[in-house]
Amino acid sequence: MKLTFHTFAWVVWLSSAAILTLIMRNPLYLIILLLVARVVQNACGEDHTALKISLWRLSAVIMVFSILFNLLLVHVGQTVLFRLPQNLWLIGGPLTLEAVIYGAVSALILITLLALFMAFNSIVSTSDLIAVIPRALANVGVVILIAVSYVPETLDHLQRVREAQALRGHRIRGLRDWQPIIIPLLVGGLERSMNLAETMVARGYGATSGEQLAARTRAMMLAGLILIFGGWILSFSHWLPGWLLILSGGGFLALAYYEQGRRIKRTRYKISRWQTQDWLLVLISLLPLLLILLPFPAVSEDSITYSPYPLAKIPQFNPLVGLAIALLAAPALLVELSPLSR
Amino acid sequence: MNKALASGIFIISMFIGVGVFLYPLILPAVSQSTNSLGGDFQQSQALTMVLLTLTIGVLLLEMQGQTTSAKTIAAMGLLIAATSVLRFIEVAIPGPGGFSPIFVPIIIAGYVFGARFGFLMGSLTMLVSALLTGGVGPWLPYQMFAVGWVGLTAGLLPQIENPIAQITMLAVFAFIWGLLYGLLMNLYYWPFLSSAVSESAETVQRFGATLANYGAFYLATSFVWDLTRGIGNLVLMIALGLPAVRALERFRDIFRFEVVYG
Repeated sequence: MKLTFHTFAWVVWLSSAAILTLIMRNPLYLIILLLVARVVQNACGEDHTALKISLWRLSAVIMVFSILFNLLLVHVGQTVLFRLPQNLWLIGGPLTLEAVIYGAVSALILITLLALFMAFNSIVSTSDLIAVIPRALANVGVVILIAVSYVPETLDHLQRVREAQALRGHRIRGLRDWQPIIIPLLVGGLERSMNLAETMVARGYGATSGEQLAARTRAMMLAGLILIFGGWILSFSHWLPGWLLILSGGGFLALAYYEQGRRIKRTRYKISRWQTQDWLLVLISLLPLLLILLPFPAVSEDSITYSPYPLAKIPQFNPLVGLAIALLAAPALLVELSPLSR
Repeated sequence: MNKALASGIFIISMFIGVGVFLYPLILPAVSQSTNSLGGDFQQSQALTMVLLTLTIGVLLLEMQGQTTSAKTIAAMGLLIAATSVLRFIEVAIPGPGGFSPIFVPIIIAGYVFGARFGFLMGSLTMLVSALLTGGVGPWLPYQMFAVGWVGLTAGLLPQIENPIAQITMLAVFAFIWGLLYGLLMNLYYWPFLSSAVSESAETVQRFGATLANYGAFYLATSFVWDLTRGIGNLVLMIALGLPAVRALERFRDIFRFEVVYG
């Protein structure tokens, strides 16, 4: 038994950490975030994913690739390491230390993002994620649920078809020999879907739905889309108004989801409650984001951003910001300390 | 009124899709301002992810209206399950280069069942297989959008009777999407690598220069990779396409059959 958090709380944690990763270019903070991701995954995660990806091997590839790409294509910076003949297309010119640092920081951003999402994947199970599909998307949710629950059966079916064909002397030599396997798999799947549909209808599925989206809901969706698109374009030149427009657009969309969701009744079998520790996780997650996004006098912007150009320098470090970021590891601490873990 | 709103939503989200995938090429040309927070690119990358996720939320809500019949829902669920199994195999035993077996079934489903079905099937296949393989990541909205487009555009292809012409069209279509998918998905992580260029005051980037850089990046990293995907799609479509189309068409007629109570 472990202390657990609500899926939504984890979504907030992940969004906050991912946004921080994307807006900061300071390698020191990025390393803290990377460590946070690993610590939280170790403490709160479980191994239920089917695939094991080695983060470190992948990171090495990203790192080498990013550094090489930047080194060869960006000829800016004052510390010249090496010179390629000027007449080489694109890659010719000075190769600089600054370009190497920049490439490494870019790679660090990608690696940190990867680690954060890996932690999230290992903490939140597939069924938990499906459970938070909004009520407005009920039909999509049913489709996802059917797909997820039929995957094992489809694998089973594939095995049966292969065995049946093998008994008849069928062997796979070329691509065309897959035909007697794929087509029965497809037809069998569709036939089972007919059965499933009849069962669903027999139990009353679709008896009440079938209504189109209301014009009001659609209007809200359209307004929301236009606002977020406009905000996105605006954000290239004016940062804050852009974010605000996107936020208000998101508000319209949330309203549309709420309106549509109200028309659909759904009951839950497994109820997960929002508890005290979930509030705590949300608060802790939002803290560093607020500290960086709001203009606090104690937090200078120079320490958040970092650019090696034109001359490489050591990145600044603000202990306050570093501490706030390290707070994101709090769920690991809570899990370890809670009496449930013993 | 309702119809106009629906097409409005559709058109805007098309624009957003095009904008999101192409902005890394255009941005250095339009924005030279030094940003107060982070690099321009990182900033926009965060916003772009928000934008894309919200747009997919709208599209799913809009498109699901079609799937109210239990038959369509069940068929889509099962087809996604079958395609996800293919992706499962692909992730476990990687094929040559960028080859992936998921495009052909999505194209065929979109072609037979229509654009909306194709979009939902494409984007939900990416979602379901990501859920199952633990592959949820910042790339997921981009994948859902791009593969959704694959299914959607397949639904806009003309229905041809002649089998040879039909399979030729589908195979060429699959080949083009194999290349295009790589081109689009590269644009998603390219800004992470290229942003240095726009931040330096010394080089003023023009659209052409950005394009040349992207061209170099593309040729160096993924052209061969994408080519194998395109060719794989082509071969797979030729080998398995026609019987699969016929099988789905048989079911399409069954699905459309419905008893309507007056």
